[in-house]
Amino acid sequence: MTVLQPFVWGRSMADHFLKIRGLEKSYAMGVIKVLNGLDLTMTSKDRLVVIGPSGGGKSTLLRCIMGLENIAAGAIDINGEPYIGADNGATRIDRRIQKQIGMVFQSYTLFPHLNVLKNLTLAPVRSRGVPRSVAEDRAREIMRRFGLDQKLTAYPSELSGGQKQRVAIARALMLDPKLMLFDEVTSALDPELVSEVIAMIIELADGGMPMMIVTHDMWFARRIATRVVFCAGGTIAEDAPPEEFFARPTSQRARDFINNVLHANAEPA
Amino acid sequence: MDNLDFSVVWKFRDALAWGLMMSLLLSGICSLAGTVLGFFIALCQQSRFRAVRWAAALYVEVLRGAPTLITLFWVFFCLPIILGVEINAFWSSIIALTLYMGAITSESFRSSLKSIGQDQYDACNALGLAPATRTFYVIAPQALIRAIPNILSNVISLFKESTLVSAVGMVELMYTAQSISNITARPIEILTAVALIYFVIGYGFSWVVSSVELRIRARVQS
Ligand SMILES: Nc1ncnc2c1ncn2[C@@H]1O[C@H](COP(=O)(O)OP(=O)(O)O)[C@@H](O)[C@H]1O
Ligand SMILES: [Mg+2]
Repeated sequence: MTVLQPFVWGRSMADHFLKIRGLEKSYAMGVIKVLNGLDLTMTSKDRLVVIGPSGGGKSTLLRCIMGLENIAAGAIDINGEPYIGADNGATRIDRRIQKQIGMVFQSYTLFPHLNVLKNLTLAPVRSRGVPRSVAEDRAREIMRRFGLDQKLTAYPSELSGGQKQRVAIARALMLDPKLMLFDEVTSALDPELVSEVIAMIIELADGGMPMMIVTHDMWFARRIATRVVFCAGGTIAEDAPPEEFFARPTSQRARDFINNVLHANAEPA
Repeated sequence: MDNLDFSVVWKFRDALAWGLMMSLLLSGICSLAGTVLGFFIALCQQSRFRAVRWAAALYVEVLRGAPTLITLFWVFFCLPIILGVEINAFWSSIIALTLYMGAITSESFRSSLKSIGQDQYDACNALGLAPATRTFYVIAPQALIRAIPNILSNVISLFKESTLVSAVGMVELMYTAQSISNITARPIEILTAVALIYFVIGYGFSWVVSSVELRIRARVQS
């Protein structure tokens, strides 16, 4: 039942929002194999939380979906259209589709030489041809919506880690993405700054944004996921709704992982 | 070694001031031109084309490796023969010092370009910035900012190296000092005073460099 669920899900809803087939990725000219024929589907209603051991390929998976990596084999389709594919060693990426995906990283990736407003408007103005005044109005609106409007003229070095990540999310939202990817966006933060970032992501989720989230925060995972996938050894070892996943993980690896993480979280600091 | 008379320095103050102005002018022009050249060379070293990368690397190695005096003599004596045009002391000095500044500055830019992390490139690519946009608006400005302290140190080196151009008869502070020494037969007073001038300017400038460095640090941390 648990094993069949994602397959049935994708098919029964006839919603092939994101479909990954046989994705293979390696580094160092094929010596380090990171993704080994990974399959994954996601509907436009899904918020997929990816968990798994360090080095299991979670970041690589998200980077591939973002179109930041060359792939060795496999394909990624979005809404039934080919998005990324591999033909004899060359990676084909449909840039039109790539533009509809946004990503936020673990490290702060704001542009340090530009203030917040310029960080937000650079891509719309310079790569999407949005008039500057329109982009600036939109930046103000987004910043107001997320309670950051005091910070428009601040430089990244003047922001807290939590504010930096929220601005990074806002910067991605400027481009009106149809899918958001979050790779451990709270891992580098001091504990007291985590919740403001999580709150922003939850607000987006409540607004219906499809997203894929890598996190080690099990509370956050339970709160936001429609599905949890366990990524280890370069494949998806388990895929289930959160209640089921945390209550009855089917694979031994997932069980061990959850026990370890919950145990570590329960330990007093 | 008796009766040192530093009033001779004061007596020739106008000539020395004029020499100093020429030295500063020369260093200023060549710093600006050399910085632009160095930035261009650093970008060439990142080129997709191997021939361009090699040409840039060769330029840097030759000009950093060769004594600046040889570069200067080469420009002054050899280049006119090759090109068949007259190049006077002033232009030889400008060309040689600019070539030198370009070479050392390209290294400053190269290391500042290298110091920009992969995550900045990832962020640009995730935002769909074209490579030229990425270079022009994100990578190059940060490289420039990071290179500023280094480039200012290069300016100090250039200012000191600029004394060499007196060897081809370029009238600047060093040349003026030598001439006055010869006329007055008071090299100790004159050369000591000139050494002091170079020291004060170089030291003052490096003080500026370190305060600039502190301000800049904040603008390069994402
Ligand atoms: N640029 C790279 N070059 C070489 N190996 C890499 C690179 N990036 C990631 N890897 C390797 O790929 C594996 C998976 O990494 P990653 O996707 O970051 O895992 P996770 O995010 O699950 O911790 C790791 O063994 C890592 O060392
Ligand atoms: Mg990772």
